Amino acid sequence: MFKKLWNLFIAFTRASNLGFGGGPALIPLVKAEAVDRYQWMDNEEFADSLAICNALPGPIATKMAAYIGYKIAGWLGAFIAIVGTVAPTVIVVVLLGSLIAKYSNSPELKAMLQAVRPVVVVLVAETAYDMGKKSFPTGSSWGIAVATVALLYLANIHPAFIIVASMLFGWVVYGRNKK
Amino acid sequence: MFTQLWDLLVAFARASNLGFGGGPAVIPLIKIEVVERYHWLTNAEFTDALAVGNALPGPIATKLAGYVGYQEAGWLGALVANIGVILPTVLAVILLAGFLMKYSNSPVLKGMLKGVRPVVVVLIAQTAFDMGRGSFPNLTTWGIALATVASLYWLKLHPALIIVISMAFGLLVFR
Repeated sequence: MFKKLWNLFIAFTRASNLGFGGGPALIPLVKAEAVDRYQWMDNEEFADSLAICNALPGPIATKMAAYIGYKIAGWLGAFIAIVGTVAPTVIVVVLLGSLIAKYSNSPELKAMLQAVRPVVVVLVAETAYDMGKKSFPTGSSWGIAVATVALLYLANIHPAFIIVASMLFGWVVYGRNKK
Repeated sequence: MFTQLWDLLVAFARASNLGFGGGPAVIPLIKIEVVERYHWLTNAEFTDALAVGNALPGPIATKLAGYVGYQEAGWLGALVANIGVILPTVLAVILLAGFLMKYSNSPVLKGMLKGVRPVVVVLIAQTAFDMGRGSFPNLTTWGIALATVASLYWLKLHPALIIVISMAFGLLVFR
């Protein structure tokens, strides 16, 4: 049990401290820890956790930490994973806030952030691709994807609403078929 | 003091629970609370806080809560503001997670998850697309993207390693 909690703490600390660009930039790193490294869940379960987290408001990284931590080690696991995600960077912000404010416009920092941004974009795109490989078993899933793009870009429908609508669709269309 | 902590808790809980799309979507809502409603920071100070937050890794909403909470009420303020950001949505996630695990064999739930997965894929792809706008100002950044794809698929490097290497590269080349 202690080992599990320690692993949760390390996994989420590592993901959080290497993710530049806020919570969504952390998604590929959390996946690298939870799916590839510790094998707490497979790609599909990871997609399910993202679905639930995206359907709710608030920061995404802490919700993922709570979901995965809870799945692995209950309430304590959720707490530890959140502490791992939040505590290191919050403590640095508080302690070094004024110092970092001085350097936040420095050319060195700007150079590093400029170089890391394309990497983050590729990592997030790769996560989508990776989950997509297993999420499109039938023609109707492609239909859902196309409908999602249309609703997002043409109709400006809120993502949380699309998530709920697709689950109702899945209930009606897939829920009664025997697999 | 107590009123201040209560205000911090309410302000950050409200911002967090009305923002969909992760921390970056919460930023404008935090600004409304911190700058316009409670006047804890001026517009310029908020811009500084955001710059500090963006200079560091990790989720952005919790860093802003830590920064503002500490300025207003010390470590306790940072803690209370973070509880406001994190706790309500985390409780909701855990309740849903428990439900999901309990009924993981139900065909209805399986159907619902099967329906939602393509949506999640599109939403993540959209995040990549949104982040991509503005991330490729020159040819070198496209080179970094190609090198990232190559190191992921052929060299099978851990993403964390690629991030560290790219930052060192940026320090050498873009400065």
